[in-house]
Formats: sequence, C-alpha cells, structure tokens
Amino acid sequence: MLTVNHLAKSYDGEKKSLTDVSFSIRPGEVTVIIGPSGAGKTTILRSINQLIRDDDGEILFDDTNMRDLNRAQLRRARCRIGMIFQNYNLIEPLTAIENVLHGCLGTKSNLTGIFSIYSNQEKEEALKLLQKVGLEDFAYQQCRNLSGGQKQRVGIARALMQHPKIILCDEPIASLDPRSTITVMDILRDLAINDGISVLINLHQVDIARNYADHVIGINNGQVVFDDRIAALSDTAIARIYQKDANLEGSAIHEF
Amino acid sequence: MIKPENQISIPTQVPVGPKFSIPLRFRDRRRLTILLTIIVLTYLTIITLPTMVPNQFKLGAALMSFAENIKIMFLQPHLANTTFVALLAALGQSILLAFLTTLIGSMLAFFFALASTRRLAPTWLVLGIQSVMAVIRAIPTVLWVLIYSVVFGLGANAAVIGITFHSVAYLTKVYADSMDELSPEIIETMQAMGLKKSAIIRQAVIPYMIPSYLSWTFIRFEINFADAIAVGAAAGAGGIGYQLFMSSSFYFNFHEVGVMVYLILAFALVLEIISYRLRTLTHQ
Repeated sequence: MLTVNHLAKSYDGEKKSLTDVSFSIRPGEVTVIIGPSGAGKTTILRSINQLIRDDDGEILFDDTNMRDLNRAQLRRARCRIGMIFQNYNLIEPLTAIENVLHGCLGTKSNLTGIFSIYSNQEKEEALKLLQKVGLEDFAYQQCRNLSGGQKQRVGIARALMQHPKIILCDEPIASLDPRSTITVMDILRDLAINDGISVLINLHQVDIARNYADHVIGINNGQVVFDDRIAALSDTAIARIYQKDANLEGSAIHEF
Repeated sequence: MIKPENQISIPTQVPVGPKFSIPLRFRDRRRLTILLTIIVLTYLTIITLPTMVPNQFKLGAALMSFAENIKIMFLQPHLANTTFVALLAALGQSILLAFLTTLIGSMLAFFFALASTRRLAPTWLVLGIQSVMAVIRAIPTVLWVLIYSVVFGLGANAAVIGITFHSVAYLTKVYADSMDELSPEIIETMQAMGLKKSAIIRQAVIPYMIPSYLSWTFIRFEINFADAIAVGAAAGAGGIGYQLFMSSSFYFNFHEVGVMVYLILAFALVLEIISYRLRTLTHQ
C-alpha cells in the first residue's frame, strides 16, 4: 500500500539527512517511527506526501511513485493522504466544522473553495466526523477557543474528511497533556482497526509506541535501524535506536 | 533586506555606579554616541535660535497677534461667504473622495499583496512589486495628484487617481506584511490536503488577515481624508479643502476658517470612535 525504497535526502547538499531509507507499511495497521531528535523522522513523513522534495529513491503509494507525479497529479494524490501535525495547524479564526470541511476541498472546483459551497451531505459527514472524535458540541466554536486536545481531534476529523487511505501523524501528541494523549492515540488506533486506514506516526515516546503500535520503525541518523513487529522491540533494540550518532558507523547497524 | 548592525563589543564593559548597587545595563559606545549627539544638537539649536529672528521682530507683538488669530478662529467662528449647508456638502465631498480612493485602493492592493507576499508568490515577483510600490510610496500623495493633473487637468479626476495610486502602494505593503505573518506551516498543511491556491487564499489566508485588513484600510481612510483636504486646497479638487483655501487665502476670513476646522475635527472624532469600535469588534 505504501512502500518507500532507498529514500535519500540532504538539505545542504553535504550532510545526509536520510541515507537509503526503505520500509513498507500495511493497510489497517498502526506503524510508529521512533528515533532521537534530528534522526530524520519528520523528513521521512514529509517526503511521503512530497512536502519535502527528496533527492533520491522512490515512494510507491498505491503503486504510483509520488516522485514522478506532476503538480496536478501530486495534488490529486495528496487528497487521499491525511496529515496531522504537532501544532494542529488549524485555521484558528474559523469554526471546527469549517476546518473539517476543508478536508473535502482538494477534490473540488475552484469556485467551491472560494465561496465555501458545501453540499448538505458533506456538512452531515463533517458533523458525523466531529461526533466520532467527540466534539459534536463544539462544531460551531472558533478553533482558537478550543484546547490542545480538542484541536488535535478537529485535525483528525479534517484528515478523515479526505477519505484517506493513509494518515501521516507528525508528533501528534508532543504538545498534549497525558489525558488528551490517550484520547488522541485511542482515536488513531480505532481508525486503523475499524476503518482499515494505515496510520503512520512519528513519536518520541517509546511507552506510547509499545501500547499502540503494530509495527515499529526505528530511525537513527537518517537510517533505518529497526523494522519489525512491536513484540520484537526489546530493550537492546531501543538502546540501539537511541544510541549516540558517533557510535553508529560500522556498528551492528548494517545487519538491517 | 535588513542590514545587520555593526558588531558591538560588549563583554569587556565594566558596570557603572556604586559597587553596592546592581546596574541594569552596561555603558557601551552606542549609548555614549547617542548622548553626545543629543548634547551637540541641543547646543547648536540654542546658539542658532536667536539668529533666526529677523531684525524688526517684536516677540511680544507677534505672540499677541498669534493669540488674536487663534481667538478669532476658535472662539468666534461664524460664516460670512458661504452657508453651513454648503460647508456640510463640501465636507461630504471630501469624505466621499477619501472613501472612493480607499475603496478602489484596498481592492487593487489586495491582489497586489497576494502577488507580493513571500508565502504565496515567487521571490522575483515579491521583490519586483515591493520595489515598485516602495518608489510610489516615496513620493507624497499631493505630488502624485499634481503629476496626474498634468494629464487630467486640475480637479477631481487627478485627485481620485493620485490618491488611489498612493493608497494602492501603501496598502499593498501593509497587506503583504500581514500575510507574511501567517505561519508557512498553515499553507503547507492546506497544500498537504491537496487544496488549490485559490482555496488556500480564501480558506486560510483571508480568515487570518481580516482583522488587520480592516484596521489598515481604516487607517488609510483617515490618511486619505487628510489628503483629500490638502488636495482640495492644492489641486482644486473641491470639497472642504477648497473652501478652507478660499476663506484663508482669498477672503482672509479666519472666522470662517474656524468653523471649517471645527467641522473637520468633529469628523476626525467620529472616525476615531469608529476605529475604536472596529478594533474591539475584530479583536474579541
């Protein structure tokens, strides 16, 4: 469903941010990418929907290489990839339901976007999605008045409005308190189980990964150092994922 | 482009003041320079001020006649050569001139701003538009009106086009600045959902910029009102500025000038109240 092959990326042309990253994810699973800060987790996620143009490799989404698409094709492909962010990135002056409805604008005409024309069916769906994330009472609240956890749930509803095959989550819980963290992660896991959506999450927190992931990809210094089911994530594996960059060269890394 | 300031050497400075008190700042060279500049300027001002006074000048008499004129204007305002209704109509003309130029200017400037914000437009276009606008802004509004009056003749046409011209340049700059404040992540998020540019502008850029759009447009309306008065006097564009010019320079009737000044002040007060209301409305 999504396969990444030999992805490489360098921001300044010299220092490699990603070197030869390959992995694939399956539908209906929660895949978690863990690794130290600066390891390249965000770069991987953003390369998938080409927010970052990578330097080399291929990203096969539904058997099309995202890197080969032209602008219009890329835009259409992005419509089926949901994304949620650490800072939620909602349009704060607008209401929750308006933000959710943005999710369906990608597939529609210019005029629809300019005049905010939505069918009743779409509005009903948006309300249903808000209900699904437990925010039906806040549909007409300006997003700037919502709490962090509520904003993230609006973000999830917005991503679901895209009818995504995959949802990319860039540190979705890094700004949240423990209770909101559990709410958000529960919703994400339910999406994978009940709706068959692939969920790919960047995380700092290994304990959260243990509770929610089906599959774990460990990244260190721009390389995949662990790629296995969650059951195989031993303490030594974690130590290897989080070890200092300096020890990386020529160590056990090349087994993977 | 902002030039980096010259490097200031800070670490070796010694705190001034008695040892037992903790200073809040180091005394550095820049502060010393500013202080010296102020002292020199003050000294120059004081020694040159007497030389500006002409020989025949009597300070007492001049102050008396100044007070007399102020008294005539502000304490004895009444009309002689025109009627109050005519003045109100002239004030209305000036307001409409300001309104029309602000309206056209803000609409044009919005599209120029979209093309010259770093968030949406390529760098060459941003720099191109911004530098043209900077040149237009550098020339005062009244001068633009006079330049256009070469083509259209003195009068309302030159006034409308000249004031609009400067308004567009001014508003393009401030609108583009307020669009630049929008986080690039927001635009990226909308792109990641596959939205078209038109939808991104309408659904993300505009909602964020409405408050600053309103307040800047209103400020420009106030500026245009002042310009409309000046242009009325300078370029014969009509309105209360022309009436002011006639009473003060043609009839030398300061009683009448007083009435007009009060009228303009009253309208300025109304504008101030409206802008305050607008601010509380948009910044809930």
